[in-house]
Amino acid sequence: MSKYSDDPAWSDIVPLPQDDGGPNPLAAIAYKDEYSEAMSYLRAVMAENEMSERVLGLTEHIISMNPAHYTVWLYRAKCLFTLSSDLKAEIAWLNPTALKHLKNYQIWHHRQTIIEKLDSADGEVTFISSMLEADSKNYHVWSYRQWLVRRFDLWHEGELEAVEGMLKEDVRNNSAWNHRWFVVFGNEKMEGVDDGVLEREMDYAKAAIYMTPQNQSPWNYLRGLLRYAKLPASTLKEFALEFASPEKPDEVHSSHALDLLADIYAEEENKKEAEKALDLLAKRFDPIRANYWNYRKSLLELPAAAS
Amino acid sequence: MATQQASTETTSARLEEIFISSNRIQELSEAEDIEDMESKSPEPLHQQMAHLDLIEQPLRDNLVTQSSELQDETLAAILPFLTDNPFGFELNSYGIPKLQRSKHIAFLHNALGKYPPQFAVMDAARPWLLYWSLQGLTCLREDVSDYRERVTYTFSACQHPTGGFGGGHGQLPHLAASYAAVLSLVIVGGEESYEMIDRKAMWHFMGNMKQPDGGFTMAPGGEEDIRGAFCAMVIITLLNLPLELPPNSPARVKGDETFLTNLPEWVSRCQSFEGGISSAPGNEAHGAYAFCALGCLCLIGEPSTTLPKYLSIPPLLSWLSSRQTSPEGGFQGRTNKLVDGCYSHWVGGCWALIEAALSSPNTSATSSNNCLWNRAALVRWILSCCQGKKGGLRDKPGKHPDAYHTCYNLAGLSAAQHHYVYLPERNTGLDEGPLAAAFKWDVADGGVGEEDKRVWDEEDEVRVVHPVFVVPWGQAEKCRGYFERKEGF
Repeated sequence: MSKYSDDPAWSDIVPLPQDDGGPNPLAAIAYKDEYSEAMSYLRAVMAENEMSERVLGLTEHIISMNPAHYTVWLYRAKCLFTLSSDLKAEIAWLNPTALKHLKNYQIWHHRQTIIEKLDSADGEVTFISSMLEADSKNYHVWSYRQWLVRRFDLWHEGELEAVEGMLKEDVRNNSAWNHRWFVVFGNEKMEGVDDGVLEREMDYAKAAIYMTPQNQSPWNYLRGLLRYAKLPASTLKEFALEFASPEKPDEVHSSHALDLLADIYAEEENKKEAEKALDLLAKRFDPIRANYWNYRKSLLELPAAAS
Repeated sequence: MATQQASTETTSARLEEIFISSNRIQELSEAEDIEDMESKSPEPLHQQMAHLDLIEQPLRDNLVTQSSELQDETLAAILPFLTDNPFGFELNSYGIPKLQRSKHIAFLHNALGKYPPQFAVMDAARPWLLYWSLQGLTCLREDVSDYRERVTYTFSACQHPTGGFGGGHGQLPHLAASYAAVLSLVIVGGEESYEMIDRKAMWHFMGNMKQPDGGFTMAPGGEEDIRGAFCAMVIITLLNLPLELPPNSPARVKGDETFLTNLPEWVSRCQSFEGGISSAPGNEAHGAYAFCALGCLCLIGEPSTTLPKYLSIPPLLSWLSSRQTSPEGGFQGRTNKLVDGCYSHWVGGCWALIEAALSSPNTSATSSNNCLWNRAALVRWILSCCQGKKGGLRDKPGKHPDAYHTCYNLAGLSAAQHHYVYLPERNTGLDEGPLAAAFKWDVADGGVGEEDKRVWDEEDEVRVVHPVFVVPWGQAEKCRGYFERKEGF
């Protein structure tokens, strides 16, 4: 059972045994001997700052038992760089590991560190897509994708098309909506967007709303567009009226349309209609948020109430 | 370990993500619920129960997608808990299950005990287990001072010689582990707990984590995200560390002077087009990161100053408000995601901070008794849906309880049951220097108006939690005061 202590290749190392903290530690884990021994050797090599092939093997062994161990990943990365290891081989090894541990968090930071050093995004988007197929809202995968796009200037390399594919699958996937925003507006080097792009984005969000009027993601996207372009809310008045009107409470198809209309009426200083819209939300269509809608009503009393 | 069995997979997923959750594919195993449904209440519950007027979903789209399927499945598993009492809990005077206090206490004491080998995946997260359990216990009014010596010993093995705490012996220092360690020590309190922290080394570790763009990385060579900004500022504030950057800091080398340089600006960049706040600029808005951002800004200055200065409030408010799900009453972490008990705190805890920001005389006091959200719906969700049959609280029906969800459901329950006010002039007995802002909170219970339709009795109440530090009321002040009186490191 003693993988390391019986191995002559490790005979020069004096393992550092586990110390859980005093005679009666809290939340102590009864580690298996295999794990405990491997960790004792890791502590020992880390104390000596040893960077070697055998340490890489050791970290791989520990990761196979516990992929949620940030220390092992960080030390492995340091080791790979010090030894000038083959980083493409590292990525090839990471792929099945990541797919096996979909929710693992450290793997993505490790991947980012390696790809940064490798200075090449080859194959990454394909791999990300396969991950998102298994888990379409995985926060770490999307965050990694955003890092990748920014780092390798992939703004116009099929990202928009990829997002559209995913939104076609599930128009409620808010992570995909966020990525769309990022791809269109997230490039800090870009100086504004032209009206054509703005119009295209408006139309895209509107089309999604026609399919799912009660889907908040495209409404948030539309609202974001208004703020980005500093357009008045009334830009969307006709559109919002297609889904709701304070005058026709029995024909409301979207609480989000009422919310927007309340802002539009407030902007027009039509307090009465704004109040009607907010009352409908508070009393009938979205009562769980009654306090919030009533707060919005109280803002109508203030000068320059439009937000 | 009976109560913690079989939840390894879920818990490790939690721990991998440390602060955030609910982005795994939801698998409703139903195991616990189906097995335990033997006991039903003797008469139809709706006759005894405070009317659930949120049950109707007046607006529904017909188009079916993966998101809506998952939502429908989830709601189907939740509904019996909202309309009935499948676990046969004793009911309070509003017809809602009582807080199962003694069961949760036993669960959390147990969570501080020994773990079997399959919990090796939590090797790097033991500081969290201590914090969640201790915080949860104090919320339930348990005295945890008996744990003081063992807490101190346990963390002495996690402290890194170069500063900060790691997940365990020989592990690299990490901001999340350091945050959990410092909060645990603050909770048990006392000189021996405070003195075991090597503050000078901690200051150097913090300096190493501070980045030239204003944010903080979580570990040496680790990721930079908003958890780092929040955890670092909590630690610096509680331990009264110097604000000046140590000479070794990468930010200092660049020319920055203090931990605050470019920090609120960095936080500001995390507000997304939705109005919510993400882990780092460009990512998706998320409830747990929103709490980190608001908490960080409330440490730096008064909420009514720093929040409007660095965040756009109307879209933030709209986004936060939208996270409360109907009919469940709990919170989701992101738009179109599922309700999860841990957001009872991550989103529920944001309200005290944002309400304080809005109640300055200049921006008009908020109406409706200074309450912008639905407290009763959250309490109902927690008591009806998140209590495990045998103790501990959980993500949602169908999931097993764990220490993480127990801690943050209870913190959310506290947020719903208590009211805070922010008093800039409050005399705290502490220094009025920088980073004094988080000590100006006070509890304003008793002014509960009509808007707060109560659904809990006094015996369902949990203790007041500090709205920024998330430790028992009074403990943060004691720690800060101790280090203010101390000369040098």
